[in-house]
Amino acid sequence: MSTLDNKNLDIKSVMLDLNSTPKIESRAILKEALELMDDNRLGIVCIVDKDGVLKGIITDGDIRRMLTRVQKPFAALMSDDVIDHSIKDPVTVKSDTSITKATSIMGNKRVWDLPVVSDDGILEGLLHLHPVIEAILGVKND
Amino acid sequence: MYSRDVHIPSPSGENFKIGDNSDLVLISGPCAIETRDHSMKMADLIGKICDKLQIKWVFKACYDKDCRSSPSSFHGVGIDEGLQILSDVRKEHNIPVTSDFSDPSWAKATGEVCDLIQIPAYLCRQTSILRAAAETGKPIHLKKGQFMSPWNMKNSCRKLEAFGCDQILLTDRGTFFGYNMLVNDMRALPIMAETGYPVCFDATHSIQMPTSMGNISGGQREFIPHLTRAAAACGIDALFIEVHDDPKNALSDANTVLDIKYLELVLAQAKMMHETRRELKEKWGEDNVHPR
Repeated sequence: MSTLDNKNLDIKSVMLDLNSTPKIESRAILKEALELMDDNRLGIVCIVDKDGVLKGIITDGDIRRMLTRVQKPFAALMSDDVIDHSIKDPVTVKSDTSITKATSIMGNKRVWDLPVVSDDGILEGLLHLHPVIEAILGVKND
Repeated sequence: MYSRDVHIPSPSGENFKIGDNSDLVLISGPCAIETRDHSMKMADLIGKICDKLQIKWVFKACYDKDCRSSPSSFHGVGIDEGLQILSDVRKEHNIPVTSDFSDPSWAKATGEVCDLIQIPAYLCRQTSILRAAAETGKPIHLKKGQFMSPWNMKNSCRKLEAFGCDQILLTDRGTFFGYNMLVNDMRALPIMAETGYPVCFDATHSIQMPTSMGNISGGQREFIPHLTRAAAACGIDALFIEVHDDPKNALSDANTVLDIKYLELVLAQAKMMHETRRELKEKWGEDNVHPR
């Protein structure tokens, strides 16, 4: 398939499915969110309620910026509820969004990841920039 | 599960709550149950003061003091006699009662008598104790260990929640400041309140000097009024004060219990401070000078 053809794909074929998407409940502590980022080698964790509805996101960039601002002891910060430091109205996409449009949103918002949600706000997966680039270029990096 | 208040069932039928901007509640009694007559007398004396000041209260006394410094110290009347006495106090004075327990196998019987279950500070992170307490189905009074940071009490709350308890009262009783000394970091109160649970200040254990006298603990009870006023101004939902009619001869914590003759003085000031703080909150809103 040519690069041009790939641009017309929707993101369903390249997004991380729900099992591969790092997700955590809102009252988990910040330290658990960081561990989850490490485990998944991603810079984002999605915060969901018991029904799977997306309540917010937290990224390693959010935490980096926080570290230069927050004055409380490190041990106290690591014990904070993750929801207290999250972005509660993140930019999201639907699974039938085209790769072209999703890439444009990423560029405009200067983010590398977009949570994919249903019409009811339920988290369905995560769109990460690297697989998107691979799909557009028609290459697979194993 | 996330509760902003703790509901105390009362034998009088007038159940009341701790937290959610409610009136200040007192938890008080002698440190240890000494005799049935003494418990009755103390309940009577405390009750009269609380009636006068219109303060809801819970009678507290322990049947087993497992954390005494010395093996020769008074260990308590034991679970059977102790719970019978607590049950009698509850019935005759028509007030809720509480006691702690330090062995998981004692939890069920304690929960059958007590309206509020206390977790000793030294055992505040013991999973088996927390599980046993939660399984009683009663509200839990969880004291912050002297060795614990206030933010880490969240872990103990999460354990209780995992075992089905969402009625938790968190108490500060001081934090180790070197050896044989405690200090009250008043920041512990708003930090623990961030859990969403109500908070309590333990005025008499906060002034304790743990095992400072070789094989017993000392204390500087002259600071009880100061620390109580400070805690009430900081923001608390309940106040814990151990009292005795003859502190010098108290069988437990003789160096820290407050002489009952001073309870009204301390309590009246705490109530005024609590009401002032509520008025300030109503006028100025929640403390939030450093939004995240």
